[in-house]
Amino acid sequence: MRLLFLVLVLLGGCETVQPWERGTLARPEMQLDSDPLETTLMEQVYESKEAASGGNGAAGAGCGCN
Amino acid sequence: MQLRYIRFKAMGCPCEIRFFHHDDAEAERLADICLTEIRRLEAKYSRYLPASVTNQINDAAGCDPVTIDPETSALLDYAHTCFNQSDGLFDVTSGVLRHLWHDGLLDTPPPSEFEKWLAIVGWQKVHRTATSIALPLAGMEIDFGGVVKEYAADATLALLSQEGVRDCLVNLGGDIAVLGRLANGQPWEVGITHPELPGQVIASIQVGSGAITTSGSYERFIRIGDKKFSHLINPVTGIPADNLQSVTVVAPKAIIAGSICTIAMLREQEDALDFLNSTHLPFLSVDKLGTCHGSLQKE
Amino acid sequence: MKHKSSTVAALTGAAMSLPAFAATQPAESTISVSLSQYHEADIPSDKVVVGSNERYDIEVGKFKLVTPIGADWSLTVDTTRETMSGASPWGTLYGTTGEPNLIMSGATISESRTSLAISSTRYTDKASYTLGVSKSEENDYKATSYQVSGEWDREDKLSTFALAFSYSSDELSPTDAVLYGRVPEANQRSRSISGSWTQVLSKNAVLQSGISLTKKDGYLSDPYKLLDVRPDEKTQWAVSLRYRHFYDNRNAALHLDYRYYDDDWGIDSHTIDLSWHQNLGVRFQLVPRIRIYSQAEASFFEAADDYSLPRDQPQSSDYRLSGYGALSVGLKAIYKLPAWTVSLSVDQYRSDERFGHNESQYEHPALLDFTLTNLGLEYRF
Repeated sequence: MRLLFLVLVLLGGCETVQPWERGTLARPEMQLDSDPLETTLMEQVYESKEAASGGNGAAGAGCGCN
Repeated sequence: MQLRYIRFKAMGCPCEIRFFHHDDAEAERLADICLTEIRRLEAKYSRYLPASVTNQINDAAGCDPVTIDPETSALLDYAHTCFNQSDGLFDVTSGVLRHLWHDGLLDTPPPSEFEKWLAIVGWQKVHRTATSIALPLAGMEIDFGGVVKEYAADATLALLSQEGVRDCLVNLGGDIAVLGRLANGQPWEVGITHPELPGQVIASIQVGSGAITTSGSYERFIRIGDKKFSHLINPVTGIPADNLQSVTVVAPKAIIAGSICTIAMLREQEDALDFLNSTHLPFLSVDKLGTCHGSLQKE
Repeated sequence: MKHKSSTVAALTGAAMSLPAFAATQPAESTISVSLSQYHEADIPSDKVVVGSNERYDIEVGKFKLVTPIGADWSLTVDTTRETMSGASPWGTLYGTTGEPNLIMSGATISESRTSLAISSTRYTDKASYTLGVSKSEENDYKATSYQVSGEWDREDKLSTFALAFSYSSDELSPTDAVLYGRVPEANQRSRSISGSWTQVLSKNAVLQSGISLTKKDGYLSDPYKLLDVRPDEKTQWAVSLRYRHFYDNRNAALHLDYRYYDDDWGIDSHTIDLSWHQNLGVRFQLVPRIRIYSQAEASFFEAADDYSLPRDQPQSSDYRLSGYGALSVGLKAIYKLPAWTVSLSVDQYRSDERFGHNESQYEHPALLDFTLTNLGLEYRF
């Protein structure tokens, strides 16, 4: 399933955002990682059950997951 | 833990800082850095010091743009938001209108005077970028007085907090920012001056966290004939605010509370109360007849 | 205080950029705790030749503390403890019907793993630098890893560039090595570099693109499999895009993530994560989410263990190297108070070889389904 093209469509132009307009971007649900603890857990689960890993940031210590 | 208390004059008002600290030498150092920060902001934005940022900007009115630092830029961005949120009533260029209503005036100035001074008022006329500001007409003036005192209270509180102080109160001429509690576990308590009875308190408010500010026509005012008007002048009509006697607002930051107070004072009649109610913040307002409104009066 | 008006929200947003309030460094400390229950579905008994048809059950407890130190530093401490029980596939054989079946281990007794990570960050006006160490230990596996990373904001604070390096070194000491003829001790090493660019697109949207490159070497095979020979080197890379968009009229945020992965073992994969963060009032949030995963099989993947091949030739029948895909559907509920946040989520994951974009010949009998339940608590002070 190659949906890369769909994501590239979202790369529209960038508008200038004035500092006083940054309130929405600061909302917890607008963060790139809204729940870091849950993200670490999910990453550990998926990386031990699938072949893929990485794409963002450096990984922590691995486990002998089977 | 001992209560530390310093009193001083800054930005033309009586000020005080109260905080709890166990170490004498450290407490003195903290008091010093607080004062340094307040004096820094006072010097930077004072109308009376020739080297201030305010005068740099005002002296260049009608000429080239002036480069500004990030702190000034952020304060002007904030003023811009206030301008938009108040439908143009909160306007940092309205300071020149004090020439229209100088003390000792017996009657309303003639229309020609209004025209002359209103022509050089209007934040919408100012040219701004992230790093510069230009006042397009000679005689235009920027005044940071509407934001800098409250900002200084917030900045001083942030300084103390970053230094590890958990319980403190910063009061700069009635713009108060608090953190934590008193020694007995009770919240900080602030008394609001009665607008008509000087020296008396109309309400005593317990402030859990955040800030409380008061705007009133009883402290700084313009006297015309035998009437007292607020020093806040409507930048659109040129007429001093003549609606509420005083407004007190509680908000997370002093700069926010202060702006809400100012905007409420500038609004006409019912608009002021509607506005205060729409913010869902605790407030206390006293109108010309002495009637109180707002959730704070129950405390 | 009930909900803030739009005026107060606008003023608060504007005040945030004032230097006195600059959040370049966490002003408050946060403690996060989570408890998770992971359950893999049993394998249909007709797919198992010998051994237990149960799979893993894992309980995970996590604790994390982030705290500011002075004006320019912060410290993060992160610890995990998990206990697992269950059986795992040892090998694959062609059954009487010609399809691969599993040889499973007997159900194991409880095993546990503990890990601890500590990192420290230094903040300056436009940048931050982080140094971290982490260690993970279980009875048959020890891992140590080091990370160094930096983040830089552009002048307008609308773009951020990040770079990270990590190195990790693992020691394996499989249990019952002599009894089952497993390698008694082995090592593997991993080095990786990653970078990302985050761009604010508008007041309601932000996009992050990232890339990472990792090289592994050492003993990369699975020591518990009866026959599993993998190359002693692996190079893998991945690119990702993460998009966040807030819809004012719906009071909700959309998250869309995509990752493409490729390695020199012949596997490439696509991952799509889509979630909708719906605010309900001020305190409550509901997040339905879906994840789609699809991978191609490794070049040396064998549907069943082939004992006729030379022993040093790479081969593996591990399902994780087969061509398959998976769909995960979940729901998370979040309740927010000024100092506390509580969350509860359930995710259901299903694998199917038909989702694979380069399918294996047979559906691997060990493709798994799991249910993950997570309870989270956060306290800010």
